[in-house]
Amino acid sequence: MKTDTATATKCRKFFGHGIPRVKLEELAGKLIVMEGADGSGRSTQIARLVEWLETSGHATVQVGLKRSSLVSSELEKAQEGNILSRTTLSLFYATDFADQLENIILPALKAGFIVLADRYIYTLMARDMVRGMDEAWLKNIYGIALEPDAVFYLSLEPEELVQRNLSKSAALDYWESGMDLGLSRDMFDSFVKFQSSMQAAFRRLQKTYDFTIVDANRSVDSVTKQLRKEIRALLDAE
Amino acid sequence: MKTFAELNFPGRLIAVEGLDGSGKSTQIYLLKRWLEAEGIKVYFSSWNSSELVKSATSKGKKRELLTPTTFSLIHATDFADRYERHLLPLLRAGYIVLCDRYVFTAFARDVTRGCPPDWVRGIYNFAAQPDLTFFFKADLEVSLNRILEGRPKLKFFEAGMDLRLSSDPYESFRIFQGRILEQYMAMSKEFNFIGMDANQNVEKQQAILRKIVGEKIELSKFKRRSPLPLPPAFPLDPAKEAEEDMAA
Repeated sequence: MKTDTATATKCRKFFGHGIPRVKLEELAGKLIVMEGADGSGRSTQIARLVEWLETSGHATVQVGLKRSSLVSSELEKAQEGNILSRTTLSLFYATDFADQLENIILPALKAGFIVLADRYIYTLMARDMVRGMDEAWLKNIYGIALEPDAVFYLSLEPEELVQRNLSKSAALDYWESGMDLGLSRDMFDSFVKFQSSMQAAFRRLQKTYDFTIVDANRSVDSVTKQLRKEIRALLDAE
Repeated sequence: MKTFAELNFPGRLIAVEGLDGSGKSTQIYLLKRWLEAEGIKVYFSSWNSSELVKSATSKGKKRELLTPTTFSLIHATDFADRYERHLLPLLRAGYIVLCDRYVFTAFARDVTRGCPPDWVRGIYNFAAQPDLTFFFKADLEVSLNRILEGRPKLKFFEAGMDLRLSSDPYESFRIFQGRILEQYMAMSKEFNFIGMDANQNVEKQQAILRKIVGEKIELSKFKRRSPLPLPPAFPLDPAKEAEEDMAA
């Protein structure tokens, strides 16, 4: 069994104080996180993993940013008008995350499900760091989060991300381009700058948090193959 | 925690804290009326009132979706929105900002709900300390009676029913408010609360409040440069007016 990667069996723990009254030893399932920018292939890979896991007899649940029943619609609406200041935006996302953590992730893990998270606290922290928020402040807030069993970061150069996003929808997303930061009035430039800063933030986070960097500049099949191999090792380690 | 004055803001922030039913909202309202009448630039903000966040909070409360963690975070979101979009710019512009509840409400309530104190304080560490914080302390029974008389039906979270202190909402409310009061008392010194005896009558409390505010803040500095425009005292066009009179 490998012990030097994120897929090695770990002791269950929260990053900080966690959620009161949760018994960690009861969380029998696995929490697997897929990180990466839009266009890095996260959702494709998750769909493929779900297919594979369920066919192999594992129950799965999916979570992702802005999917909580508590605040997702309000957050969406606020973002449309772009009237949120950065602390508010950050706390809004933290609320969205906490709601899913307590109402979906933890109960599913307790029931022995494999939870696939389409992004987790790392994206939230990286974005906020790029927006100039205090790292210690963020770490305190996300002390509520559970450490995943595995984190895969699908890494792709910003130039390649641009190509993929444009070929998919012929447009770049406002927020994924970091347009709120005023890096450049040119969306293309802003996207490249913002995504480069995001990568730098992820590299910084990787020093503290353990995640597996997956080279996403390959065929979809070959990425899936690597992910399956790592996840199988994790499941077999039981 | 530094005050706005210590941070060299031109404006000043005054907060009132206390249990539900302590009469603090009445007092800060009367303070606002006084300051307005004095021609001072004043703005009032109440807890949990951000237009952006309110619908999520009330949905969460109605459907009893909130846990101590999300309860805390959603109120912090609400506060941050008001703080960054309203309070800070107004304080930069030299306003006297009045807050019905401030971060201390979260410190007291969220900790009573079981959130770790350091975590809660960490979340709110972007907020500066009010220049004056009045803590309205009434006997617990007095506060409880005021609330229970006015609104016989207690709401789920208001009564602290999520803490399962008692299956009876009234009993739960009593225990919950008692614990919040303990939290307030414990931080009173650290944050320089000015204690107000909320058992006294409204007029007496207001007189004390105005006196202290007048002593601690040089109010003349916060006057509007030009008075608010008054409605015209005489018809703008006397000829037209006369015509209308004739027609009538």
